[in-house]
Amino acid sequence: MMKFLYWKKTGLFLLTVVTLLALAACSSDDASGSSDTGEEPDKITAWAWDPNFNIAALELAKDAYEEDLDLEIIENAQDDIVQKLNTGLSSGSMKGMPNIVLIEDQRAQSFLQSYPDAFYPIGDYFNTDDFAPYKLAPTSLDGKQYGLPFDTGVTGLFFRTDYLEEAGYTKEDLTDITWEKYIEIGKDVKAKTGKDMISLDPNDLGILRVMIQSAGSWYVEDDGKTVNLVDNEPLKKAFENYKAMIEADFVKANSDWSQFIAAFNSGDVATVPSGNWIAPSIEAEESQAGKWEVAPIPRLDLNGAVNASNQGGSSFYVLNIPGKEKAAEFLGATFGSNEAFYQDLVLDVGALGTYAPAADGEAYQAENEYFSGQSVISDFSEWTEEIPSVNYGLHTYAIEDILAAEMQNYLKGKDLEDVLADAQAQAESQLK
Amino acid sequence: MRKAKRIATYTFLSVASIVSIFPFLWMLVSMTNKSVDVTKGRLLPGTHLLENLKALFDTVDMGTALVNSTIIAVITTFLTLLIGSLAGYGFEIYRTPGKDRVFNLLLLSMMIPFAAIMIPLYRLFGGLPFFGIDTLAAAILPTIITAFFIFFFRQNTKMFAKELVEAGRIDGLSELGIFFRIYLPTMKTSYAAAAIIAFMNSWNNYLWPLVILQSPEKQTIPLLISNLGAGYSPDYGLIMSAIVIATLPTAIVFFVMQKHFVAGMMGSVKG
Repeated sequence: MMKFLYWKKTGLFLLTVVTLLALAACSSDDASGSSDTGEEPDKITAWAWDPNFNIAALELAKDAYEEDLDLEIIENAQDDIVQKLNTGLSSGSMKGMPNIVLIEDQRAQSFLQSYPDAFYPIGDYFNTDDFAPYKLAPTSLDGKQYGLPFDTGVTGLFFRTDYLEEAGYTKEDLTDITWEKYIEIGKDVKAKTGKDMISLDPNDLGILRVMIQSAGSWYVEDDGKTVNLVDNEPLKKAFENYKAMIEADFVKANSDWSQFIAAFNSGDVATVPSGNWIAPSIEAEESQAGKWEVAPIPRLDLNGAVNASNQGGSSFYVLNIPGKEKAAEFLGATFGSNEAFYQDLVLDVGALGTYAPAADGEAYQAENEYFSGQSVISDFSEWTEEIPSVNYGLHTYAIEDILAAEMQNYLKGKDLEDVLADAQAQAESQLK
Repeated sequence: MRKAKRIATYTFLSVASIVSIFPFLWMLVSMTNKSVDVTKGRLLPGTHLLENLKALFDTVDMGTALVNSTIIAVITTFLTLLIGSLAGYGFEIYRTPGKDRVFNLLLLSMMIPFAAIMIPLYRLFGGLPFFGIDTLAAAILPTIITAFFIFFFRQNTKMFAKELVEAGRIDGLSELGIFFRIYLPTMKTSYAAAAIIAFMNSWNNYLWPLVILQSPEKQTIPLLISNLGAGYSPDYGLIMSAIVIATLPTAIVFFVMQKHFVAGMMGSVKG
């Protein structure tokens, strides 16, 4: 009896102690944690994705910064950052949030508008006129500049010189063309070489966004809210082009990123119209060195459309928590104004910023052997300045889901007017 | 006739096993190939294994992530089993008014998706002093009490001979003594089955660790793998190496406890 009592007491006690110890070992070293106290923290944290690109750029900026700053750069996948920010900001507790965060331009407005006081305006820390105008619209709200524009998503038409030559085309024939002309060439290439012209993911209408931005249009009007699908002339053209491509039978379908990359790495497609950030993925296939070049992206056959557009691209934001001034000063002194830093950025990281004064630098003129000796950076940088500015608004991806479904109906033969009218109605009811 | 049936059975089983083994095979083969070859769909083993592993350990802190995941998974499994079995045992053995109503409420809580309670939980942990945001404890605590395991142990307790409880009481064993000295040893298989499920859940848990853990030195394996795949030009050979390493512990736990696992699952069905 005594023995059992003894066991009962010591056993349970031991168990409790072990459990508490285990949990305590997992708790924080200091009870203070990060924010809320209002005190200036010693450490500034930054969240970004892609170790070879954004993270590398931040590391470079840290080295280039002359002040003494304890900057901790934390790597997270982009979707993970979106998830973490949304959870943290909607909980209303700013605890655990970073000082600096990278946000994709097309998502930025939804963060700025959904969490009005969460971000710190940084317009006073750099000269906004130094940056490409198309980067400023999505990164500001109500006349206040919140984002420091980082990489451009300027698009180009990457193409296989050997395939095009075999079909009888030169770079000249691909320069400053319309999508209609592109489709014509595509049919020819398919007939003469047997290679597909392009690889597309039916669920990702990125190419549609590239097309409409080249004409200065978007899924929403300039206020960023009013859904603009039904009488959107550029969008109609884009739909027609998309269908023409599918019907021309030169589209190699892919269902995810790895298949997309495989399509050009394995030499199955002749062109890749995409943001400039695709270049390293193309260059990964060493056996194709010297077989690629980049032409300007085709434009829509409309007045005012230009041979320049945007896909992706992101900017840095400062959260409105203690340490914000330090963080903003750091961004302003590096990404905001340091020309020499931008040369290193191009050379070491291959990241192309949108800071106009940097474009005359030496690094931008360098010839790229992989792309047949073309001065790729200089070309991209030139096209960057022509990109029409649009307000991406809050709902780009929500509207695109609707459009992706309606696109399938359109491809099956539904009338284009009906397709866009239905999409408009759906979007309006869903986004109220 | 009988032979034909056998052939049909084995053909079907062979096809089914190839289908289920193929992803693992592909994962292992891809681990030895260059990223470019992986995206091209190469199915033959390559020579890039050492380079992939080297690149993996050079670019990311795999060791820290493995240690974190292990700490979280082991503590979570231990606490989940302890709390789940105590509660399940209590629900089945003791007669309390309203017991079944409480139990039904508990089962209802299984219907609530985690995403729905994530924001309040984040706020809650934001206000805690020692177990707050960015601690492993915060990653563990919300996952240790689950209706599923209470249900699982209650079902399993139905097989447990109640006479043993009576016998224990007559011999003067305390109620906790009965639990730890009679119930626990006789229910080993149930514990083994539950341990495998709890360990795997915790090892693969993604959403909650993602939002609550911030600093790189607290990162778990699924978060690390998610980061690897996030670049504009992901290195698939390297990612596959990381996934193989991440899969090993769960595979080992499963194979070690496989016998008990099957027995334990049978038990919960029979009950």
